Amino acid sequence: MTKRLRLSELVNEIEDAIQNRFAGETFWITAEITDVKKQTDKRWCFLKFIEKDGHLITTEIKGVFWSNTFYNIEKFEKLSGQTFASGLEITCNVRVRFHKRYGIDLEVLEIDHTYSLGKLELEKQQTLERLVKENPTLISLVDGQYITKNKKIELPIVLQKIALVTAPNSDGQRDFKQEIENNQYGYAFSVSEFLTQIQGDNSSELIIQKLKLIEAEKDKYNIVVIVRGGGSQTDFKPFDDYELSKYVASFPIPIFTGIGHDRNTSIVDLMARQHKTPTKVATSIVDHNFNFESEIMDFGERFFDAVENMLEKAKDNLQQIKRTVKAYSPTTILNKGYAIITSNNQIIINPKDIKLQTEIKTILKNELIHSTVIKKSKNELDI
Amino acid sequence: MNLTYNKAYSELSKLVDQIEDDNIQLDTLADKVKQAKELIELCETKLRTIEKEVKTALTDKKSTTREKNRS
Repeated sequence: MTKRLRLSELVNEIEDAIQNRFAGETFWITAEITDVKKQTDKRWCFLKFIEKDGHLITTEIKGVFWSNTFYNIEKFEKLSGQTFASGLEITCNVRVRFHKRYGIDLEVLEIDHTYSLGKLELEKQQTLERLVKENPTLISLVDGQYITKNKKIELPIVLQKIALVTAPNSDGQRDFKQEIENNQYGYAFSVSEFLTQIQGDNSSELIIQKLKLIEAEKDKYNIVVIVRGGGSQTDFKPFDDYELSKYVASFPIPIFTGIGHDRNTSIVDLMARQHKTPTKVATSIVDHNFNFESEIMDFGERFFDAVENMLEKAKDNLQQIKRTVKAYSPTTILNKGYAIITSNNQIIINPKDIKLQTEIKTILKNELIHSTVIKKSKNELDI
Repeated sequence: MNLTYNKAYSELSKLVDQIEDDNIQLDTLADKVKQAKELIELCETKLRTIEKEVKTALTDKKSTTREKNRS
């Protein structure tokens, strides 16, 4: 009869074998991760590394991040703008461990960020290339800028009727509405909310459904706003989705986005008019209306200035006419000591009209002098 | 709504052009001033009230002015 071993004896032997082969050695692997369970409070993360042949998982092993390497996950999320979650392919340095109760697993020591991010960036780049190639009438790449049908739609002169697509109770929803509702100029807006989950597997499909509702009533809105909330939320994979990006590029109402941030821009951002944060989307809408109001006020000022000038000029002209009239009026002339001579109630302009012995009237300031002409001679006075 | 903003804008720019032209007749001035004032007021009100409220806001304003004039 073969020798029977206690379980612990066998497991000890396995442990020894593994120790002998793997102790002190680390390995670089590239693999897909799944079943990612983060315990943020303890700063642990359990996951599985898998390898597939088509849809079939052919290899699987447990993996773990302990608190001393947990920062790798945070760094990955910060750099990539993506949640460290199932479906990602990462390259990392691991050590093989064996525990008598929990079995074999790979302890992750370090993530190769350059590789992992490069892979994500490559996928994004491929989606962008496909968008341009398959939709030449909607999207084109000119001098590093994506020109889309949506971006080319001219903005209405005033933006007041807003369709807001965002997640319920999100920071984005709150920030945007706060800025819009408390704008410094007191402008009024109507914000119709289309709330949906914007993170997770089928989010892009849910966002498309909301956009379709908006398109069905497109005359009711001047602008569509898509915002994503919160600094801590990093997953904007749905916004890199091909179908959603294509729909945004072709959308008949101008779209403002506040999805990505400085380091990471989603594809949807590139297909629409991008702003950095939900708050900035709101301020740019308010500023747009302020520009309109300023122009109207400028027109008003120019108009009323012109009217004032015109009235001033008319007044000046009138004043001038009054002065001239006054200067030539008989009263002014008589006041100065000049006289008017009449004969038969006719003012004498030409002295030849006065014959000798004719009766004439000399009109002075306060009196009339009646006389008869007894002599006429040439005027030799030097006046 | 935007049509009206656009219309207000082009009307105002037309009025400004006309008034800045020296050949304008003084007797049409009062009418143009009234038009310009109304357009600016309409835009100001519309910017600060959403569409369905515009009508009420404008009527309110008119009636308060009328009351003021009466007293």
